Amino acid sequence: MMVSAHRFRSIGWIALLLVCAALVMVLAFRVNALRSQVHRTELQIVALRKEKLYLETEVETRANQQQLKLWNDVEFGYVAPTAGQYLANERQLAAFAKPDGPDTPAPIRVASADDAVAAEAAFPSVISDLAAVADISAPVARSDEDEDKPAARPADAAERAKATANLGARLAMVTSLKKDSKDSKDGKAKSDKASLAKSGKTAKDDAERSGKGAKLTAGKADNKPGKPAAAKSDKPAKTAKPAPKPAAKGSKSAP
Amino acid sequence: MNSLTASAAIATGRVQLANVRQSALVTARLRALWIMLLFIFATLTACVRIAQLGLFERTPERASLAEALLPSRGEITDRNGVALARAFASYSLWFNPKALGEGGAPLVKTAEEVARALVGIFPDADYADLVARLKAGKPCYLRRRVLPEDANKVFALGEPALEFPREEQRFYPQGSLAAHVLGFVDEAGKGHVGMEQVLEPRLLDPVHRGTPTALSIDARAQGALEDELGRGMMETNAKGAAGLILDADSGEVIALASLPSFNPNRSDLAYNDLVFNRVSNQVYELGSTFKPITIASAIDAGVVTDLAVRYPATPLQIGRFTIHDSHNFGASLNVPEALIHSSNVVTAQVADKLGPVALKRTMEQLGMNERPTIELPARGFPLWPRGGGEGGKGDWARLTTMTVSYGHGIAVTPLHLAAAYAALVNGGIWRPATLYKVDPAHLPPGRRVFQASTSARLRQLLRMIVADGTGRKADAAGFRVGGKTGSAEKPGSGGYRKTSLIATFAAAFPMDKPRYVVIVMLDEPQATQQTSGQRTAAWNAAPIVGRLVPRIGPMLGVVPDAHHDVDISDLSPLVSSGEGE
Repeated sequence: MMVSAHRFRSIGWIALLLVCAALVMVLAFRVNALRSQVHRTELQIVALRKEKLYLETEVETRANQQQLKLWNDVEFGYVAPTAGQYLANERQLAAFAKPDGPDTPAPIRVASADDAVAAEAAFPSVISDLAAVADISAPVARSDEDEDKPAARPADAAERAKATANLGARLAMVTSLKKDSKDSKDGKAKSDKASLAKSGKTAKDDAERSGKGAKLTAGKADNKPGKPAAAKSDKPAKTAKPAPKPAAKGSKSAP
Repeated sequence: MNSLTASAAIATGRVQLANVRQSALVTARLRALWIMLLFIFATLTACVRIAQLGLFERTPERASLAEALLPSRGEITDRNGVALARAFASYSLWFNPKALGEGGAPLVKTAEEVARALVGIFPDADYADLVARLKAGKPCYLRRRVLPEDANKVFALGEPALEFPREEQRFYPQGSLAAHVLGFVDEAGKGHVGMEQVLEPRLLDPVHRGTPTALSIDARAQGALEDELGRGMMETNAKGAAGLILDADSGEVIALASLPSFNPNRSDLAYNDLVFNRVSNQVYELGSTFKPITIASAIDAGVVTDLAVRYPATPLQIGRFTIHDSHNFGASLNVPEALIHSSNVVTAQVADKLGPVALKRTMEQLGMNERPTIELPARGFPLWPRGGGEGGKGDWARLTTMTVSYGHGIAVTPLHLAAAYAALVNGGIWRPATLYKVDPAHLPPGRRVFQASTSARLRQLLRMIVADGTGRKADAAGFRVGGKTGSAEKPGSGGYRKTSLIATFAAAFPMDKPRYVVIVMLDEPQATQQTSGQRTAAWNAAPIVGRLVPRIGPMLGVVPDAHHDVDISDLSPLVSSGEGE
């Protein structure tokens, strides 16, 4: 009994020693693993920085002054801005608005089609881009604003034409469009899901791509609720431009 | 006996047994002690190691990261951080005849075919030399620096013997831009000619080479200067051209070009005459561009107080020497007219009144009697006219004073002229030119050469020369350019050569508050159709400035303004219209 207790203690000690040794080994291994990981990362950093420097140098070499000059001579023909293209101060800017003189005839106004038609043709494409961007970037702010001003949405083409007459109204139109685009985006996303389920895994990438495009074209399409689909199809989907702020802000000033 | 023996034997057996037991016990205890010591030692070691790892272990090899990214030679950038010279692992084209194994042909195709293909990729390569090297079967460089796309083309030839080791070399991304400022690095890694030589200790110092060294050069302005100079040189079939843009207030060299130039990327070809720097190393008689300096000196000294005073403009006889003008400008001219038409006769008379002492002092204060102050190693010593007295250090003779007044008999570098014009227009302070970027708050101390009022007057006069006089072709709209033409005949054997000119235009802009001095010089321009059959500066150097200033002005922060100009209303009535040099 005594012997077994003694042996038991010895075994205990040995076990303890082994456990300690194992722990030390585990620790040492982990430390070494981490260290080599750090080392590898550092090597990667060095390699990447060198690669960056290499690419940077290549770009600089390809775009050196002499090369740019050659391109400009052949392709672009840019010239330095002349004095007439600069405005020194507000006074010079204001000088443009000055009436020509006391007896000058009134400026000639050319008869044309309804301004609103022209405005409708010109502005929606611009607004749709802004709307699409605002849609992506500031969803929370948008939903608040939408709730505040639901009446700002033009009901039909006549109202639309009226709305394009001034800036505030145009921006108000942005508000409404954003809501529309959101709705349709959801719809599109649903349809994407459906197609995904149908065509399985291979179609996944395509679906994602079309989903991305759809997000933008949806915003664009909703500018012209009353128009046929052919009218929007002639404008290809553009990538979003990073200028969301003015659109989001401007919508606050809507009547 | 037996029993005794037996009992003795038993007794010893017992004793032995006891001893064995004793020693076994001792051994066991010793072993236990050893094991315990081992345990304690192992535990302690583990504890110490844990403590060491946990407490004192540093992030491994932090220093090596910085070391790995430290370039072998520091980077040189322009004032805006655009890399001008960089240590860069670029491809070389190396011929390794053993790539296909020992014995047998080193190339798949014949040497002639490979050489022909290589010449197709590198049009400047020497076919015969390539064939010889490929046939020799010795490993060697076929080309030192190869563009990645060219390397790809060579790779597409499918010759395993053509290898592309990447080697750290000095690379100039902007090509030959500012070649004379930068210089080049030879194959041994030693800098030559320009700032590569001057900055060598700093560029190689491990402490400093990690951070780029910024020069005062602006790569965009440098590009525009070289481009316009090259165009002017081509249009006039000139032998060479030099150009300089200097910050009028700080003395920083914004651009410095000497054409024809060399390509520092081909250091193997860089040892040639083109390395010679016309801006800082070659001295020229710069002719009429000296006239404003003389007039400024005279105004400053109070010799010319009334600009309306008229001087006879007929040829001036001094001893056996006659001073002529290029045209006949009538019986008399006043000082503004003399500058506008560039009259040697009137300037000589003003200098005569001023006297040799004052003119010489002005020239000395403008640093015309010593090498130009710039960091470049190649700086030319001016041909300073000998005075009378011991060692030629006395006063100049009367004729010397007169010829120096219109830039003859004294030969300086274009850099001297630029620094002098900076002093002329910036309020009268001369500052040494520098290629280092200068902090505007810590301008180097200059020395006052002209009074501020003299400088203001000269700004008017220089502007008038461009507005109404010989410099009209430099009048870039809205930039208020002022300047002076100078067309000096080059001295040859047997006097001055009528058809070999140095055409210079020294300008500054904007004249209402001069920021930059521009010097453009053409060496032996020819009369061509583009210059309307003329070879004087008004027709070849001035138009270069007229094209250059609108290109560099907006980039250097000078906004063109058509409604703004120097007020020359007090001088305009003094000038009647007429043609000049």
